[in-house]
Amino acid sequence: MRRSSNRKSSSASAAAGSGSTKAASKEFEKIDHLFNVYADKSSAIIDPEGIEQLCSSLEVDYTDVRILMLAWKMKAQKQGFFTLEEWRTGLKALRADSMSKLKKALPELVKEVSRPTDFLDFYSYAFRYCLTEDKQKCIDIESACQLLSLVLGTQFGPQVDKFTEYLKSQSEYKVMNMDQWMGFYRFCNEIPFPSLENYDSDLAWPLILDNFVEWFRENQK
Amino acid sequence: MNSQSQSQSQRRKNFKIEAFKHKVELDPKYAERTWKVLEHAIHEIYNNNASRLSFEELYRSAYNMVLHKYGDKLYSGLVATMTAHLNKIAKSVESAQGGLFLEKLNHKWADHNKALQMIRDILMYMDRSYVPTSHKTPVHELGLNLWRDHIIHSPNIQARLQDTLLDLVQRERTGDVINRGLMRNITKMLMDLGSSVYQDDFEKPFLDVSASFYSGESQQFIECCDCGSYLKKAERRLNEEMERVSHYLDAKTEVKITSVVEREMIANHMQRLVHMDNSGLVNMLIDDKYDDLSRMYSLFKRVPEGLSTIRDVMTSYLRERGRVLVTDTERLKDPVEFVQCLLNEKDKHDKIISTAFNNDKTFQNALNSSFEYFINLNNRSAEFISLYLDDKLRKGLKGASEEEVEVVLDKVMMLFRYLQEKDVFEKYYKQHLAKRLLSGKTVSDDAERSMIVKLKTECGYQFTSKLEGMFTDMKTSEDTMLDFYAKQSAELGDGPTLAVQILTTGSWPTQPTAACNLPPEILTVCEKFRTYYLGTHSGRRLTWQTNMGTADIKATFGKGHKHELNVSTYQMCVLMLFNSADGLTYREIEQATEIPALDLKRCLQSLACVKGKNVLRKEPMSKDISEEDVFYFNDKFTSKFVKVKIGTVVAQKESEPEKQETRQRVEEDRKPQIEAAIVRIMKSRRVLDHNSIVAEVTKQLQSRFLPNPVVIKKRIESLIEREFLERDKADRKLYRYLA
Repeated sequence: MRRSSNRKSSSASAAAGSGSTKAASKEFEKIDHLFNVYADKSSAIIDPEGIEQLCSSLEVDYTDVRILMLAWKMKAQKQGFFTLEEWRTGLKALRADSMSKLKKALPELVKEVSRPTDFLDFYSYAFRYCLTEDKQKCIDIESACQLLSLVLGTQFGPQVDKFTEYLKSQSEYKVMNMDQWMGFYRFCNEIPFPSLENYDSDLAWPLILDNFVEWFRENQK
Repeated sequence: MNSQSQSQSQRRKNFKIEAFKHKVELDPKYAERTWKVLEHAIHEIYNNNASRLSFEELYRSAYNMVLHKYGDKLYSGLVATMTAHLNKIAKSVESAQGGLFLEKLNHKWADHNKALQMIRDILMYMDRSYVPTSHKTPVHELGLNLWRDHIIHSPNIQARLQDTLLDLVQRERTGDVINRGLMRNITKMLMDLGSSVYQDDFEKPFLDVSASFYSGESQQFIECCDCGSYLKKAERRLNEEMERVSHYLDAKTEVKITSVVEREMIANHMQRLVHMDNSGLVNMLIDDKYDDLSRMYSLFKRVPEGLSTIRDVMTSYLRERGRVLVTDTERLKDPVEFVQCLLNEKDKHDKIISTAFNNDKTFQNALNSSFEYFINLNNRSAEFISLYLDDKLRKGLKGASEEEVEVVLDKVMMLFRYLQEKDVFEKYYKQHLAKRLLSGKTVSDDAERSMIVKLKTECGYQFTSKLEGMFTDMKTSEDTMLDFYAKQSAELGDGPTLAVQILTTGSWPTQPTAACNLPPEILTVCEKFRTYYLGTHSGRRLTWQTNMGTADIKATFGKGHKHELNVSTYQMCVLMLFNSADGLTYREIEQATEIPALDLKRCLQSLACVKGKNVLRKEPMSKDISEEDVFYFNDKFTSKFVKVKIGTVVAQKESEPEKQETRQRVEEDRKPQIEAAIVRIMKSRRVLDHNSIVAEVTKQLQSRFLPNPVVIKKRIESLIEREFLERDKADRKLYRYLA
């Protein structure tokens, strides 16, 4: 009796163990399957080519911000690549294990990202995601402008337009760092545009924004 | 025995002194008679017939009356009698004509006092016993009050008295001589009658009349007088009034009348006086009118805002004058002249403040702040002050005594203190000192060291440690050369004599080293030195600074004229080439010497284009050096001096591009200093908001320069990027130190 019960329990536990792997593998089976559709066969990672294919499956342009959001959900480390772990993380969180479910999950994802706390995390993620080299701390102005439009374009269109215009017209700053990146988001949230009435350059705003405000006010005249 | 003693003691006990019960009745008739005696006495006293009276009898009469309870009668009789007399006196005074009015009054007053004295003496018993108990006014006071009421306040006298007194004052003010003694007696009389009498009957109207008098007079003066004369008049009037008080007014009137004069003559016209065209404060300052200024100072000191008015006008004048001085392009062409001008201005105004303004500290501060303001308007002030010092230390102070040297250096230090950008001064001073030391052109070592000590006292050890290093290097080099020649004399033989100054990098101003090709003879001896030096100092690296050296060359010109030329190293390299060729093109020289173009052009210019120093001849004979020029040894060179100096290593005002470069280097040097300050502050405070950091950094660095808040912000951002600091997650105005 004991034995059987032991066995049962052990088999049960074994079953549980294998069951969990089984369940796990069952859980991720579809997800992994989907992964393999796009992954490179030799490296077992989805590379930029694979992402392009993924995008066309999703019927989304590969420059679309939703891909970035997807990367964020996956907590993807390297721009242009998705590992299996990352894929699993993302899709599990989205509760999607097929292309159709994934497509349907996208609007939900967009809504989720728009929530203020999540957006802040997404916004800083977007910057880090662009740091391609090890120890790189800044992104070049051109890329920064593109990223700003992509990420903040809908929410703070006018500010983004003016700021990118400024960035392209000046030559003092050739790159942007994280501090400046985050500063701009705070700027959009706290300073009314285009009046800029409570902006005080004696406070701790990054210098690049002081210069932007000055440029903006000059051009207004 | 007992009974006897008992009765004796009893008797003693029973013995007592009884009150005088015996009523001494004074019948009313007797009282009336006694009063009549006294009344008569009073009349006699008032009629100056007192000598016939018997004091003792009168005293006893009064005493008796009081004793017998006739005090009331006595007192009221006194009042009536005195009043009657006073009314007579009043009429007598009223009838006096013109000038005699006061005299009469004075005379009668004296009489009254005498009479009062006698009457009081006679009635002393009443004064002491009846008066207090019945709460009546004592005799003397009564006499004064009655005088006041019946004479002074008599309708025909009161106004006339006031008018007479004021009229006399007016006449005296307009130049007449009046009877001061009489005046004094009258005013004293009023004071004796009570200070309110004095004030109401005389002082208040006196002050009012004086006010309108001085108001009118000051208006008149100010239309026709210049400032200095006006002030003289005002001072005179003020002294007059004080003298008037001391002679015939009550002492307490002094402060009241002087404040009237001060208000009417000074306070009401302050602005107009100070700003008067051609004679106001500014003109006085320009013309060093010490007396006028001193007078203005002491007069204005008496009125509210007086000194601050002078100070404000002086300050704005100084600032404007200073601004004009430091932006005058003509004057800026000669830096030494420019600084001398500033020193002269300082001296001039120091003297004014000490002579005329009583060394007033607030004025000294105003002077300092004005200088600080305009000196910093010109961003070349630091450079120019250093050039001035350079000129003085190189030749200006030649032959001066130690005290004279100290005086000059101290005065320059005063200007130095006003500089906001002391680090710029440090940079230039280092450059100029280096040139002085290396060319051996300093008037006195003591003077140089004295200057360093002063800078150290002012700015701390850090400021001067490198400068001191330069002096040390010079001394060490001397010793090294002696040793070199001692050890190497055999090997060196007949080669050129070398004098090397070994400069520790870091102490001396950094110059980009442009190597050039040295003539072979020089190269040999230089290499010998290098070997010797590195032998005793392994691990060091020597780099020849060919742009800073000098050379003495013996040259023979046409007709055998020999001269000794003192030249720079570059010039030597160029000249030595002409030992093997009579003529060379620019390019040939450039190729042979490898001297950088700008320096080479300057060098050739000094050798070929300067009258009296043209050891080379240039074709074409134009003023400027072009790359197509050809140079020839000038056989025809002559000079009345055997030794000719052609070197170009003197400190001079920087050209515009050089200035930009220096400023850039200064700005670069400031960045780490600002960062160090930020880190120091954040390390101790841990968390701090932006404005506080800016304020703290400014405070920490103010002895060296005034940091730009924008630059501070940039440094903070750089430190954030390098993860020394971070922004606080909750409050983005705060920064946090990252250990």
